[in-house]
Amino acid sequence: MASKLGVFSSALVAMALASTGLPATAGEFDGVTVNVMTQTGAIQEPLQRRAPEFEKLTGAKINVIAVPFSDLYQKVLTDWASGTNSVDAAVFAPQWMVDYVAGGYLEDIGARVAKDKDIQWNDIAPFFRDFSSSYGGKTYLVPLDGDFHMLYYRTDVFEKAGLKPPTTWDEYLADAKALNGKDFNGDGTKGYGSCIAKKRNAQSYWFVTDVVGSMTQAKGTSQGTFFNTKDMTPLVDNAAFRKALDFLKESSKYGPPDELNMDVSDTRPLFTSGKCALNLDWGDVGVLAIDPATSKVIDKTGATIMPGSKEVLNWDTGKLEACTKDTCPYAIDGVNHAPYAAFGGWSGGINTKASDKVKDAAYAFYSYVSAPAQSNVDVTIGKTGFNPYRVSQLNYSDSWKTGGMSEKAAALYLGAIKDSLNSPNMILDLRIPQNQKYQQVTLDEAISRFLAGEIDEETTIKTISDGWKDLNDQIGTSDQLKFYKNTLGAK
Amino acid sequence: MNRPPDTRPLMRRLFERRSLDTLAPVPKFATYAILLAWTFVVLFPLYWVLVTSLKIQIQVDAGPYYIPFVDFTPHLDAWNFMLFQNNTLWPYMNSIVVALTSTILALLFGSMAAYALVRIRFQVKLAAIIAFIVLVIGVIVAVVEFAVPWQVAILAAIVLFFLALTSIGRRFKAALGNNDIEFWMISNRIMPPIVAVLPIYVMFQHLKLLDTQIALISTYTAVNLPIVVWLTRDFFAGIPLDLEESAEIDGASKFRVFFTIALPLVRSGLAATFMLVLILAWNEYLLALFLSNANAQTMPVLVSAQNTTRGPQWWYMSVLIVIMIVPVIVIAAFLQKHIARGLLIGAVKG
Amino acid sequence: MPYLSVNHSAFCNTGRYMAVNVSIPNETDRRERVAQWVDRHSGRIMVLPAVLILLAFAIFPLIASAYLSLSRFALAAGSFKLTFIGFYNYTRLFLGVQQYHFLGTFKPFGPLEWTLLAGVMLLLAAWLSRYALTGFTPLGFAGRLITAGLIGAVWFVVLATAVAGGIPGTLLNTLLYVFVGVFVQFVLGLALALLCAQPIRSRSWFRVIFFIPVMVTPVGVAYIFRMLADMQKGPFAPLSHFLGVSQWSWATEAWSARLMVLIGDTWQWTPFMFIVLLAAVENQPRDQLEAAHLDGAGPFQIFKDITWPTIAPVAATVVLIRLIEAFKIIDMPNVLTAGGPGLATESLTLHSFISWRTQDLGGSAAVGYLLLFVSTITCVSFFNFVVRYTRRYQ
Repeated sequence: MASKLGVFSSALVAMALASTGLPATAGEFDGVTVNVMTQTGAIQEPLQRRAPEFEKLTGAKINVIAVPFSDLYQKVLTDWASGTNSVDAAVFAPQWMVDYVAGGYLEDIGARVAKDKDIQWNDIAPFFRDFSSSYGGKTYLVPLDGDFHMLYYRTDVFEKAGLKPPTTWDEYLADAKALNGKDFNGDGTKGYGSCIAKKRNAQSYWFVTDVVGSMTQAKGTSQGTFFNTKDMTPLVDNAAFRKALDFLKESSKYGPPDELNMDVSDTRPLFTSGKCALNLDWGDVGVLAIDPATSKVIDKTGATIMPGSKEVLNWDTGKLEACTKDTCPYAIDGVNHAPYAAFGGWSGGINTKASDKVKDAAYAFYSYVSAPAQSNVDVTIGKTGFNPYRVSQLNYSDSWKTGGMSEKAAALYLGAIKDSLNSPNMILDLRIPQNQKYQQVTLDEAISRFLAGEIDEETTIKTISDGWKDLNDQIGTSDQLKFYKNTLGAK
Repeated sequence: MNRPPDTRPLMRRLFERRSLDTLAPVPKFATYAILLAWTFVVLFPLYWVLVTSLKIQIQVDAGPYYIPFVDFTPHLDAWNFMLFQNNTLWPYMNSIVVALTSTILALLFGSMAAYALVRIRFQVKLAAIIAFIVLVIGVIVAVVEFAVPWQVAILAAIVLFFLALTSIGRRFKAALGNNDIEFWMISNRIMPPIVAVLPIYVMFQHLKLLDTQIALISTYTAVNLPIVVWLTRDFFAGIPLDLEESAEIDGASKFRVFFTIALPLVRSGLAATFMLVLILAWNEYLLALFLSNANAQTMPVLVSAQNTTRGPQWWYMSVLIVIMIVPVIVIAAFLQKHIARGLLIGAVKG
Repeated sequence: MPYLSVNHSAFCNTGRYMAVNVSIPNETDRRERVAQWVDRHSGRIMVLPAVLILLAFAIFPLIASAYLSLSRFALAAGSFKLTFIGFYNYTRLFLGVQQYHFLGTFKPFGPLEWTLLAGVMLLLAAWLSRYALTGFTPLGFAGRLITAGLIGAVWFVVLATAVAGGIPGTLLNTLLYVFVGVFVQFVLGLALALLCAQPIRSRSWFRVIFFIPVMVTPVGVAYIFRMLADMQKGPFAPLSHFLGVSQWSWATEAWSARLMVLIGDTWQWTPFMFIVLLAAVENQPRDQLEAAHLDGAGPFQIFKDITWPTIAPVAATVVLIRLIEAFKIIDMPNVLTAGGPGLATESLTLHSFISWRTQDLGGSAAVGYLLLFVSTITCVSFFNFVVRYTRRYQ
């Protein structure tokens, strides 16, 4: 009798605990170790910080293995493809999900998500919910971070010069030219008009898509900007791409001399130490700018949605034509904006070959880190590398205030994020199989050589176009077309 | 020592030396000046590393600060984090174990092989070598194309090898001698690791030895064997035969002669080789990157991992570089006389 | 072709042992027999571990990589798929879509290029025919033909890319690092060794201090130089401001970027040359030096007549060692500029590594193999024609 009572009461306790919103019951995962692999530095930091908390709550030991970013894709893939399976879970770019799913390595977490109340799945912005975490209709990843490009600018410098932040790329160049060489901080040093990361093997290939996409994609995310959805022809040999290359070359004139050797890790401190008037980057700059330990531009930083274009590409003719209600249904003040969800946002995936207990523990950990109670704090801290991706994070809350963001700065920063996330014309990152070869090898190399002056514009266009076509041929054009349309949700 | 006074004209007194053991003033000054200049070139980057390890991010980003306490206030944050909060001890231990063990093994196997190649005559049948290569190709094709389990393929290959040896080997007598074997062993050093690394990875993966110290130790031993053979071969060739011969006549086995007589005679050379191979193993990066993950991560990989998407964390990296150099410098200072002498002997004959 | 000239090796027949025929009890008898068997085969047993290790870690991967370079790698559900595609990975490096990456971008020849090409071809032909006419052996001639072939082909590519205004690819970048780098390191190392061998005090201190750069891990050296070369934040920033070059970036121009890689490489490896050459210089025959000094010979004379002949074999060997290692350079260009600007600093190993990173395993193996060919031919040629030559008097 007593034992039955004991069982009954402990069941009651368990139910009570579960209903209070703890991600898992205490001691549920005692003795379970989960190896989570991710990159060193940002992203590693919040995972490593939350691991002991999670262990106290559930008993699961989370072992965060950090590798340099450039090796992460290959290390996870080799580990899973070779059957070694020492990596139980990994936090990586949704872009890479395609290759992992193709090999059957990722666990379908749809059922777990459906059961999970604590993760507040619907609070996650629709874009990340629908595109970043799922593929082919199944959910594989838990979003932990929201990634897309924005424009940052020095509010004080622009005010003094009587300029408004640019809304088109032409305006961007004009502003950069006007402000280049002026003294931004009153200390006698000359500032740079525009700072964009253009280093090879880094992030430069995303920035070119920012410009191209604003001209190529106007009819919504499902239109896409990389390939023609009819026959998989690369959308490269056209006026829009040429204009984008011109933009990159021209902007270098108003930037730091070292720009060709800078990746975002160099342009960010450059902006936060006050040397740039304009900067294109992910959401990190906003939170880095309010960090009193490293920033000289607290309350001097503004953000807007990425500049757009008043002209869009006619896919059939390859020429640019003016924006009208038909060609640009989502234009704002006659300008077509296409904010680029570059990289997609670090998300957590689980190895399907791990044992069930480990998989459950891994999911519970992701759920814990992603839950608003934890996530809303982490996105306010620069060094986590987590940027806002939940609707609840886009309101100026106490978390932001404690993080050090003033209401004025938040209005600009969060406003820009809201504008971008609400845009129905967001560009989805390329997610076909072996997308790395298209972007990181062919595109990046050609852009790098173009910017270094090794090849001219026509050769660059031809190299990228031929290179992408060659890859299509090798991997199978009709297959790639099918995958491409799947990821876009295109018909 | 009373030397006759220097009565030469001024120019000669300044530029020409009086004896082999002294330098004239101008050359002496120039010599010291250049050597000190090079000392600065060598030490300044290391000084900069040390100083950077005492800085925090904002100090690094703001511009060059040179002298602690004068230019900037040093912080021990980076040291504190790296030594106490970060898991640095694990890779450090891995590095020590892997480097020391692989060096000792390479020295042992390499010097044994070199000794044998110097003292004993070998004849390796060409037919055996060709048969071996053909069979390796066969195993690879069988495992990859026809999905034969690798244990079966290797067993079959070994059986076929012996069959081939006994049948074909009898007919074709062409053989390779000592020189060719040495050449083969030493030329393996030319092979770029990047060519070999992926098959080695697959091999360890099948043996379930990935991300273990054993994998790294065996790979480093293999990679450094050629150097050991190259250097020790000449040391052994240089020692006179009499001691060994008399020991053998007294009934000592070859092994005993090797360990008790030959090895001690080439101590100096062995010390030099030890130092060189230790440095190579301690600092190796590419193979460690491929073959290790979390368990067997070594220091060079940890150094490189400090490069994040937020930029190289120079301060952490500097701490790691400093703690990597210190033990090696200590060992080198200890052995430095041997190193020079040993390398010379090796290079002269080699 | 024999690699090492074995001047002093002693050959001793296996199986020479003293058999003392005394009747001994069985237990010891068996142990004796085992010991005798071991001693008889001691040669093979001593060599065996080294041979097995090399077979497993060198020969097997070499053959497996060759196979990999002839196929295309693709991931499939649960494992991978290797499709045999013949020499496609190689042909695209020489003639196909990757030619600009490996060989470089060609520009048409002008009169200058033709003259230079003809000149070198004539020299090579003269060298070959001289050998054919004096002391011809088929193996030797074949070897020289291969060497000449490589030199001719590389010279052609150099003319078509660097001289004619084109852009050199990873092959030429690597050869630049190897030859220019090793040459500079040798000259510097020799100069330092000669200076250090003078009668000065604290020679051992210099020896230890100068040796330190070799002991730093190459990845570390690369990052150190990246720090040092930063024109805005690095220690030389005030200097670059003063010289007015702070607005210029060495990393954005091909030749300055290559120069920076060479500087870092030289800093790290000159000490190796220095240490060995110092020991050689210290080992000169003192009596000859004293005699020369008494005769009033000047420093240059002494160097030419005594020092150089004495250290030539050592110098040749140490250069060979360094050549072998230099071909594998990867850390410095990868860390300093990631192979940029464009392709200017990318070495062959880096080329192979980048290919590997994006799953192009076949292409990666092909580039690795080409590196192996080039470095093997170069090193063996160097050994046969330079090292052996310097040893002719020994």
